[in-house]
Amino acid sequence: MSTSSEVNLKQTLRKIEYPLCAKEALNKVVELVCSRITSIKHMDLALDLMSEFIFYEVDRRGNKRSQGLTPLLELQLIEILFEYFNSIPNESIRNTVFLSLFSGTTAAMRLGILSKLVSVGMGIPSQTILMMASVWMQQLGSFSQNSCKLAESLVQDYFYFSPESTERLKSLPSMCPQFTANFMTAISENYFSMSRREVSCPPKNLLEILKYWISNNYSLCIAAQQRPAVLPPGAIAMEPTTPIAGLLKWCILAPIYKQDINLYSELHLALLNSILEIPRTNPPKAIYAQHLAHSINPILAYVNDLKNKQELKLDKILNEDALQLSLDRYAQAVQVAHSVNAIYGHVDDLFNQLKQLPFNKLLSIVISTYNRNKVIVL
Amino acid sequence: MISNSTVVRTVPQQDLMHELRFFIRGAIKKEKCSSLDLTKTALTLLKCLPASRTAIFEYFCKVFDTAALNYINGIETEIKTGNLPPVSESDEIVVSEIHGVLTSLITENAAAWAPTISAWSLELLGEISTKYSGRAHISTNLNETLQLWMACRATRTLVDINTKCLSSLIHSDTEACINALLDTSVKHSPNFDWVVAHVGSCFPNTVITRVLSCGLKDFYLHKSYEQGCSSAKLVSVVGILGHLAGSHVQDIRNAILEMFSWSLRETFEDTDATRLQKKATVPYILQLMYLSSTLLAAICTDTKDILNVEIIGRLYHFIEDWCKYFGTPEALEVRNETKVRLESLYLKLFQELVTTLILRCETGAVQIVTLLLNCILVEKVRGSEDMKNEIIEKSKEILQNVLLEVDEYIRHNNPVNIMISFSKESREIEVMLLDPRSVVCETAARLITFLGHGNPAVLIKSATFLLQNATTPDQLALLVTIITNELIDKTAAPYSEKGGHFSVVLEQLLSIYVQKLSETDEEDPTLTQLWDNLFWEKSGQIVLLNSNIVTKALQSNLASITSLFAEDAHHMHIVSDILDTMEIPMPNDSYNPPIEVIFNITQSTVNYFFACCRDDGTSKKIKGFGKVEKMLKRICIYSKAAKVFALRELLERSLFRGDTVLFGAKGVAQHNEAEKSLVKQNKKINKTIPLTKHSSVFNGGVIGRGKRKSTCSDELPEDVAAMNTYQLINALKACCALPEENKFCDISLDSMTLLSLLLVQFVSPDVMYNGLPWPEEEFSKVTIERDLFIRRMFANTPLLWDLLSLVAVYRPAICYCSVLLRALTATLVHQWKSMGEQSKDDDSENYKNLMETTIKVIDIMALGQLLPPPLSSIRDVIPHLKCYEIVAILRESVWTYMRDHIPSPALFTCDSNGIHWRDPILARPPEVYTNTLRIIMQRNIKTLAHLYHQMFINIPKNE
Repeated sequence: MSTSSEVNLKQTLRKIEYPLCAKEALNKVVELVCSRITSIKHMDLALDLMSEFIFYEVDRRGNKRSQGLTPLLELQLIEILFEYFNSIPNESIRNTVFLSLFSGTTAAMRLGILSKLVSVGMGIPSQTILMMASVWMQQLGSFSQNSCKLAESLVQDYFYFSPESTERLKSLPSMCPQFTANFMTAISENYFSMSRREVSCPPKNLLEILKYWISNNYSLCIAAQQRPAVLPPGAIAMEPTTPIAGLLKWCILAPIYKQDINLYSELHLALLNSILEIPRTNPPKAIYAQHLAHSINPILAYVNDLKNKQELKLDKILNEDALQLSLDRYAQAVQVAHSVNAIYGHVDDLFNQLKQLPFNKLLSIVISTYNRNKVIVL
Repeated sequence: MISNSTVVRTVPQQDLMHELRFFIRGAIKKEKCSSLDLTKTALTLLKCLPASRTAIFEYFCKVFDTAALNYINGIETEIKTGNLPPVSESDEIVVSEIHGVLTSLITENAAAWAPTISAWSLELLGEISTKYSGRAHISTNLNETLQLWMACRATRTLVDINTKCLSSLIHSDTEACINALLDTSVKHSPNFDWVVAHVGSCFPNTVITRVLSCGLKDFYLHKSYEQGCSSAKLVSVVGILGHLAGSHVQDIRNAILEMFSWSLRETFEDTDATRLQKKATVPYILQLMYLSSTLLAAICTDTKDILNVEIIGRLYHFIEDWCKYFGTPEALEVRNETKVRLESLYLKLFQELVTTLILRCETGAVQIVTLLLNCILVEKVRGSEDMKNEIIEKSKEILQNVLLEVDEYIRHNNPVNIMISFSKESREIEVMLLDPRSVVCETAARLITFLGHGNPAVLIKSATFLLQNATTPDQLALLVTIITNELIDKTAAPYSEKGGHFSVVLEQLLSIYVQKLSETDEEDPTLTQLWDNLFWEKSGQIVLLNSNIVTKALQSNLASITSLFAEDAHHMHIVSDILDTMEIPMPNDSYNPPIEVIFNITQSTVNYFFACCRDDGTSKKIKGFGKVEKMLKRICIYSKAAKVFALRELLERSLFRGDTVLFGAKGVAQHNEAEKSLVKQNKKINKTIPLTKHSSVFNGGVIGRGKRKSTCSDELPEDVAAMNTYQLINALKACCALPEENKFCDISLDSMTLLSLLLVQFVSPDVMYNGLPWPEEEFSKVTIERDLFIRRMFANTPLLWDLLSLVAVYRPAICYCSVLLRALTATLVHQWKSMGEQSKDDDSENYKNLMETTIKVIDIMALGQLLPPPLSSIRDVIPHLKCYEIVAILRESVWTYMRDHIPSPALFTCDSNGIHWRDPILARPPEVYTNTLRIIMQRNIKTLAHLYHQMFINIPKNE
């Protein structure tokens, strides 16, 4: 495609009114992105088209527009994207276009539109859209900031603004288990997270639906790992992270954050069951040891807090119900995960770190058993 | 929960996409569709596809905007044509549909929806208000705007939705809500104010407190004063509070006071920001008050509750910080010496602000002034001496500035709010007038003059109060200062006519006083004070009084003063002082007292005279007589009527009423008991004496008054009676005085004649035979009864002799008393006749009296030159004679002479000096009249030789 044809193309597109030109531009972008010979020039043109004709970010001279899309135009764009993706039969092309639209430097900028698109995809629902979103999260990393933001936005939409629609979301795993798994992973990072200023707890309806999803389908957590992403040739598929470690952290920390609702116990049970269902792989890839170790610092901090504030005697602190429940859950999780050989990474480190925790009968047994077995293995 | 009326259809999921498409096509007007359907779709999407909410809200914006536009258009059509076009029904339905769903969203899930919906509704309200601000209504009045928009379905719904959001959030997230409100307000001010006002009145406490604190947070961040003042946020804070002040003044006041006391509390927990905020609080509050008069009024109503000297002492330490708010940012960077100068400049600015605020107070200004005065008079503060001095100094300065400013306004007849306050609180100012501390009462006096400039009634009221309650000369001086102040318009209509302000004051006082007098009987100090003032004026030493205000005032109130004089015993001396000093009526004076006053004065002076007579002998009494004389003289010269009246009064009272005793009258038995009718007496008797058949009325009781009672012993000591008599004579003389004193005579003969005639009128009970001529002595048998009556009068009332003597001195007035002399002589003749053979040696009481009386009569006739020599010397002869001889002399010499020489003024000649007299040489009686006398004397020549020589031999001859 020559320079003149590029100019012509843009001129033609500019003659079309905004939301309609996005459709045309999409067609061009597909051509450009999925053509067999991809050149930098093509990519640049594709990016230009995206920002000018699809996302309406820059004007014809390439200057940033002072005003973005109005909500109504945005909604129209979302409809166009929705229709468009649903009309592409090829999953690989779909994913390619989706990733090029919403990743890279512009990812954060377009996150709003992406969130709304995925939200609509969840609401309608549309497997196509959810699948693409799943791949997007996987490629960017489910724990990545963008993924977390997407997850948060979705939680906002369906668990805050529209709590009554959770009923419909129950069927989400059957619609697209991969997306559900990645979604859960991202969510798990948003709560009980030490990286945030204030530790926030998930809303109850979210907990309920997670419990429902997992307990009805023990293999849901590893769904994303079981179906590789369909990517354009040459692309490197990223290994998805399961939500298990993240959600286990919720269950472990819930007692010490005084979230002792029954739901956490049920979720914990569902998670343990899920772990048991994990098929043995070599090497294991379901639970990353370091993720599992995330709960250690909050517990230690909690104990310290108790020491500082209440000046209780140490044995009283140790015998505190909440703390013991938390440690019990921790020990169970580690033991079960270890027993099915689902932990990867530095398992020794994990166990060493666990030794810092206050005394718990079960935990000490788990640790000593591990040490004994290790010796035997050696 | 969604009520049945709302229309969110439960849509099968596959249709959601269809709905979304339908909505988009409809919203961008690509396809025509009913707006109701579209709205229903939108609401469905809102529930099922939350991601579309911003777009849906945008669409709702359009819906509401259209509804508002239709409404405005409708009103405009109405204004133009007079007919209100029908309200668009679809708008109504759509809006109520949206209202229902949004309301249910808020109630169901406030935490999620309320902030979103609240922000959206506020923004939309702002836009709508701004967009249509210039239309359908011209007025910028907030209330009208409020009414206009509350009548519009769309905006009313929005406000309602917003209120719901706020009420669900108000406890959890107040700050954010109010901030959003204020921000929108700033953005769309002033068109948005009605929303704030409405919301504010729904949550007054929260809104007020928050609005205040938001404002403070904004204020303290500004570096300079100008910046802070013009901050849009501050303006909007003021606007909102100003509106709320209408119905929530107390809340606002409390909130501001709370903020104030918060700013005074310093704790260790304060962060830097809080500390700065606390420092900024007072300038901030002052600024608010500066911008809004309602806030000012809210605070100023009761400053005494907020500020006192002690708190001022605490505030002192903050002054420096506050002053910084009056600087500019550049100023903070300048070098040191300039800095000092600038700082004092800020202080000045600060003071100016305070002054301006004080001037604007519409209530409670007096409290502020009192506070300043308290500060000026402060004796002890917690802190150094310097601090105390500075507080005093600054308070003085501020007070002085305030007073000067007010003065300036008043002089240019510009209205200033503080005057409203002063006039409302004039009572408090009045109380201040009595304060012993000079700075207080002088300030109060200035305030009163300010008030008096525009409203003389207040001046009058306060002056009255002051005069009534003044106890020290200083206070009276203050009164004079107030009344004579140059600011007071002395030509104002009702006051100049009535003789100046002071006279009105006096008038009021007197009327109050008279009222009081009728109720209680206490002494009132007012008149004493009045007297003091008058005294000053007369002394001529006080420049302020040169215009004779006091005199003028008294003149216009003479009627009441004089009537008071007549009635009131407590103040007669004072009033007499006043009247005497005033010299009414003054000769050569333009002032002519009305006749009523003249009579009042006459009457009351006479009263006063008798009161003085009754008085125990004090110096007041003697002075009183002197004053009476002077007053009578003045008034009688001025008015003839007064003269007649005065003479008559004096005579009548001294001769007939209880007062006679004062002049030595005796045995005037006061017959207090009313005369009982015979029938009544008989009825009484009836009970004891049964009436027989042949009853005739007979008196079974006491005949007449019964046995004469012995004379009452209430006689005055002789010297007192003599003194009184002397004074009475003086008074009468004063009444008869000539306007200009003559060398030879100071008495008007006409007046004396009048007096003489009056005497006849009073003493003689008959109108018959009162003429001058003496008839035959025989004729006295006809008049004997009357003669005896007259004689008894003289016997009982010794005063009559003195009066007669007085008349006799001023010839020829005695002529008119001829009848009296005749009656006396006739009775004397009879009595001497009946004396029989009693000799001159008889020393019985009866004889003595008779002799004495005879001598008196002869004396008087001689004094009046009715009896020329030698008849005039009979008085010396008769004590040596026998009764029959006396009778003979009286008959043959006196009576006959008198009969033949009618005692008339014609007998007298008037000389060049205006003196009437009879030349004794020319008027020597013929021998016919003297023979009897001569023979009798010759018969008794042994004892009467020297007299005989004088009377008959050594006679002066006309050369």
